[in-house]
Order: sequence, then C-alpha cells, then structure tokens
Amino acid sequence: MQTALLELLLLAIAGGVLGTWVVLRRLAFFTHAVGAATFPGLVAASAAGISPQLGAAALAVGYAGGVERVGRRRGSAPDAATALLLVGALALGVVLASDLLEGGAVADRLLFGSLLGLDNADLWLAAAAAALALACAFACGPTWTAIAFDPDGAPALAPRARRLDALLFVVLALAVVASLAAVGALLVSALFVLPAATALLWARRIPGLVLAAVALAIAEAVLALYLSYWLDAPPGPTAAVVASTAYAAAVVVRAAIAPRREEPA
Amino acid sequence: MSELLDALLDPWRSGITTRAFAEVMLLGAICGPLGFWVLGYRLSYGVESLSHALLPGLVVAMIAGVAPLAGGAIAAVVAAGLIALAARAERVGPDTATAVVVTGLVGLGALLAFAPETPKSIGALLFGDPLAVSDGDLLAAALLVPIGGGLLTALHRPLSAALFDSLGAPSLGVRPDRVRLALLLLVAAAVCVSVQGLGSLLALALFVGPPLAVGRRARSATGALLASAAVGIAGGLGGIYASYHLDLAAGASVALALCAAAAVGALVGAIWRPAAGVRAATT
Amino acid sequence: MIALVEARGLAAGYGGRAAIEQVTFALEGGQTLALLGPNGGGKTTLLRALLGELEPLAGTVALAGRAAYVPQTDRTRLDFPVSALDVALMGTLARGRWWRPVRRADRDAARTALARLGLADEVDSTFGTLSGGQRQRVLLARALVQDARVLLLDEPLSGVDPASAERIDALFAELRDEGRTLLVATHDVESARGYDRVLCLNRTQVAFGAPSCLAQDVLERTYGAELVVLEGADGPVRAIMTQHHEH
Repeated sequence: MQTALLELLLLAIAGGVLGTWVVLRRLAFFTHAVGAATFPGLVAASAAGISPQLGAAALAVGYAGGVERVGRRRGSAPDAATALLLVGALALGVVLASDLLEGGAVADRLLFGSLLGLDNADLWLAAAAAALALACAFACGPTWTAIAFDPDGAPALAPRARRLDALLFVVLALAVVASLAAVGALLVSALFVLPAATALLWARRIPGLVLAAVALAIAEAVLALYLSYWLDAPPGPTAAVVASTAYAAAVVVRAAIAPRREEPA
Repeated sequence: MSELLDALLDPWRSGITTRAFAEVMLLGAICGPLGFWVLGYRLSYGVESLSHALLPGLVVAMIAGVAPLAGGAIAAVVAAGLIALAARAERVGPDTATAVVVTGLVGLGALLAFAPETPKSIGALLFGDPLAVSDGDLLAAALLVPIGGGLLTALHRPLSAALFDSLGAPSLGVRPDRVRLALLLLVAAAVCVSVQGLGSLLALALFVGPPLAVGRRARSATGALLASAAVGIAGGLGGIYASYHLDLAAGASVALALCAAAAVGALVGAIWRPAAGVRAATT
Repeated sequence: MIALVEARGLAAGYGGRAAIEQVTFALEGGQTLALLGPNGGGKTTLLRALLGELEPLAGTVALAGRAAYVPQTDRTRLDFPVSALDVALMGTLARGRWWRPVRRADRDAARTALARLGLADEVDSTFGTLSGGQRQRVLLARALVQDARVLLLDEPLSGVDPASAERIDALFAELRDEGRTLLVATHDVESARGYDRVLCLNRTQVAFGAPSCLAQDVLERTYGAELVVLEGADGPVRAIMTQHHEH
C-alpha cells in the first residue's frame, strides 16, 4: 500500500507539473498517444521477460521525436494518419498478446495499470520523473509558456525555443513511460491532462496553475488509490473516473458562479 | 495447389468463421465509403472519440444482459452530447475537453468491467470479437449496408458540394450544416454497429484505413468511394484469414490489415509523387 | 553601410509551394520599411522567412542579429492565464539566460515598456481582458523589452482604436530616433509614404524603393481591385482600400 501511495504521489507531481504545459500547448492527444503507442512494446517486453520500461521508453521517445519533427502544428486534433497509427499500435499489441501472452490478465494490467506489481524500480523511475519535471519546469517553464502563448513569434523571442520545445516532448514522454506501471498505457491522461485541465478552468496566472494542477493531481491520486483498493480495480480507470468527475464538477461550479462574461472584441 | 485451395476454403467450413467473415466484410463495405467523407470533413478525431466513449454503454449492456447495440446506441447519444458540450469549452479548448470526456468514459467503462459481477472480460468490448458476433450484430451490419449505402448515394452530390465549396454550396441549394448533420448521424450509427465487430478502440480502422489506402489515386469521388469499399472488404477478408491461419485475435487482425493497407497506400503515394512534399491523403 | 536586413531573389512558402517569389531588397540600420500588399499576398510569409522560421525555397535572406517580432494579436491566445506584465516579461527571454528566474531589473524594464505605451494602469490585467488596441500595445512592449535592433511588425495598427494607434505611431517615431530598424507590414498606403522605403508584395515583388515609387500602376498591380486611387493634379493623392479587412 505504501509503495503504491508513494508511486502515485510522485507521478501526480510529474503529471501536475508537466500537465500544465500539456494543456497550455494543447498536447492532450499527443500525451495519450505516447502512452498508447507503447502498448505493443510492453507486450513484447513482457513476453520476452525483459523490463517493460525499456521497451516502452524506446518506443515513447522515438514517437515523441517523430511527432515533434513532423507535426509542428499548433497541437490540437490529430490528423487521420496519426489517429490510425495509434489504432495500429493498439491492434499490434493485441495481436502480439494473443500470440505471445497467456490469458488476458497481463494485457489488462499493461493497459490499465496495477497496484500490486509496483516495485522499487518503478518508484525510482517515478521519483526521477518527478524530479526531472520539477527541474525542467523551473528552468524551461517561462520559455514553454512563451511558446504556448505565441508559437509563431516564440522562436524569434527565445534563443533556444526550438530545442526547449523538443525537450518538453521528450520529458513528457519519459514521465508517461514512468507512469505506465501504475496507470497503464491507455489512461495516462488521467494524470497528465485531466488535473491540469481542471486547474486551467480557474487559474489566472501560470504559477497558480502549476500549483493547482499538482494539488489536484495529488488529491485525485490519493482518492483513486483508495477507490482502487475498495473496488479491487486497477488504478488507471479509478484515476480517470475521479479526475474527470473533478473536471465536471469544476465546470458546473464555474458555470454557476461566473455566468457569461463578454470577451472584448 | 490443393494446399492453397484448402487454405482459402478451410475457414469457410467453420460456421463461426463464416459469420466473422460476413460481419467484417459488411462493415468494411459501408465504413470504407463513409470513411472517405470522414476524412474529407475532418471527422477522424470525432469518430475516434465517439467510439471510445461508447465503452461504458457497452459494458452496462453486457452486465444487464441487454443487446450491446442498444447499450451502444444510448451511450452514443450521451457521448455525442458530452462531446458536443466539450467542443464549446473555451479556456481549455475543445480538444482537451474532448480528451477529458473520452478518458473519463473509457475509465468508467473499464471500472464497471472490472467489477466482480461482470461476467466476461473487457477485451471483446475494447478490441472486438468478430468470431463471437451475434445474430443481432450481423443483422445490424446487414441492414447498415443498404441503408447507409442508399443514403450515401442520395446525398452524394450535396456531400460533394458542401465539402469542396462550403461557401458556394448554398447558392446550389445545398445547406452545408444540414448535410454535415446527416453525415454525422449516419457515421454515429455506423460507429455503433462497427464497435460490435472491432471493439471501441479499434473501430476507427474501418473508417480511416480504406480512404487512406486509396489516397488521391481515385479519379472521382465515386471512384474513391467504391475503392474504399473494396479496400474495406479486402481488409476484413485478409484480417480474418490471418487470424484463422496464424491463430491471432480476430478483431485486431482486421484492424492491422486495414492499417497495413493504409500504410501501403501512403507509401505508394509517397513514391509516386516524391517532389510534391505533401502528404498523400487529406486529413 | 552594410545592410541589416536583406533578401535576394527570395522565394518562400509552405509545403514546398512558394507563397512569395523574387523578393529582393536591402535595409540599412535605422531605416524603416513599409510592407504593403493585400491579404494573402505573403506579408506574413515574408516576415516569417526573415525571422528564419521558414527555409527559403530559393534565393537568400539575411538578418543581422536578433529581431523582435510583433504578430497580429489574433495570432496569440486570448484565454491564456497571463497578465500584461507577464507578456512583456517574455521579452527578457531574448537576453539569453532563459533558465534564470525573473529579476527585479527585468520587472522594472517590463513596467517601463508598458508605461511607455500608456499601459501603466493595466500592468496586472489579464491579457485576454484587454481591448484589441491594448493587446497590440502589450505585444509592442514585449518587443521593447527585447531591446532588439530590428523590429518586424505584422499589421500593428489593424483593428486598433485611434488612441492606441496614436501611441503606437509615436513609439515608431521614437524607435526610429533611437536608430532601430523597423519593418512594418501594413494596409495603410497613406502612412507608407512616411517611411524610408516601401516594398509592395503580392505573391511576387511588385516594387521596392522610396515611397515616391508608389505610382498608381504600382498600387494597382499590388492590390488589384481592392484599391481606389484618387487622382490629384500631380498624380495619385489618396489611395483608399475598398475592402475592410477582417481578421
């Protein structure tokens, strides 16, 4: 129980911090895609008996690099080819699982996470992800914000904008990989998108946004953990349900409190 | 030679596999052409979101012992409503909001599926199980083909007009928003039916794979539609054959076959026109 | 004097297709250039090529040092959780030490820039709640904080209220006196006559030179039917855009 709690806390920190720029840069689909794209790698690694993180990390970073180079558009909805690529990755994982793995339990664990299988290696990975996220946020945060605010003008503004932008993708991919053991390949958004999105509904400044995102992520992670134990269900789905309920509640509260403000022309 | 013949005919000797063939070929025949319009009208993300969002409905239907199609239909209405609401999200943006809706619903579906009372595993709902297709699903697919095909034929010119020149279309008597709505409804119905065959996570392959495989090679919209249908049917056939002979998951094999077709199509397009520097398929 | 901003036979565009072609001009330090052209004529493309955002498809482009870019306000996000001061502070990123937190000197510089543009009272307002003219001024303040020698401005006066426009014009004069180089994409043919150079661009370069080259035929080739030119005794007196450009 303690391992799982610590793991989720660390992941929540990474998720809240990085999630801030995920939502500012509209990278929600990319985040989901990085997680889901690792699925075939996880299956293959699991069947081969090697550490799944290695296979996943290779795939994830490769995918991140590829997307970053190709899709320099302003985030947003993926095009058909990218969406299909993701479906292909999932299908490949399923096909491999049906061929290489015994029974569906392992595939379920890879897709939705597990509380029981977490070991020290996972903890170290989560701690590294959290540390990396915090360090990069302090150093690169202002540049990341500037890029998100004005993607066209930012490269003229900041000397290293392109490289730091790429760094965001890579750090995000690594953090997502660190979270796969706990929340699974399919629902990483529950940590990396949803809490920050909820915080963004209310946030008026960036520092407040980061703090709120992390606080929400931690609270949701703890609640999800409790729920997982109580329902005997994997943490990925519980985190997703808790986080999306929080978002819905925030939307409702906000609509009730702050009706229609006119945007200036 | 007779070995090859055996390999081709063996699967058809099994009633289960024959039904699987029928299901995926029917779905490919209608979802392929629909996919041409899905790509043209940039609905891929919407289709993917909708198919994912059906998951809890399918699970509830399974738990309640009701036909999954019914659960899917109700879930589609709810999901479509939520996605429409999400599209109006101002601060976080429609794509982030849609991601929230989809993540929440997939999580909910998985949560319900992992509850101890659930009879089956979630795999079939996620990735499809054409080998276990029910009579109702087959009937639904069989009905979707003529109804959907008829609607596409009737709406063909308005769809083309609204797509290629949405500003000028009203002067031709075409209302782009109404055309788009009709398309959305038809696509939503097709999504409900196709998740029974390929599951909520893989159904997108039926819609997006064939038109990407066809790319820009078709001379006319009609040609593209027919070619997409052909690819859809071929993908279904190929997938079930592979699943039968290689002992692989059936739904995922069909999805992979369709993805492979799209990849081949994209590659051929890239080789044929290397100087264009533009991706072969519309998004 | 060596050219600070220069292009020779430049062609640039997106996806392998040229949106602009045969652009040739040179701008020395302290000169101002008005970039004229219709919507879709490639003004923004040229600016992006000058910034190095776009690889030239043909020809060369050179810009000495770093340039400050002031985009059209609708190209920046209105829903962002930033204040006017935060946006102005983004200009400090150009000073190189991007990993350092914001210091008091930076904050003061940002406040000064905002005050210079008449926004001293709006320093803590959320960016998205400001008017179009105010937002444009905030983006200008950001460029000021950058302290760059060259400023590229994309239609800084379009959709801007008269009070803001006055401030901005005054700022241009000040910047010019400071010896900075300004390249302004604009729709205002009239004001273009006050610049050192003009460049008319409608996919291909129509003209480059002193404002005296803005003869009627040049304007017509640039703008096509969008422009109405009123004749005076000595030539074109006033040029009026017939279309109001929406953004």
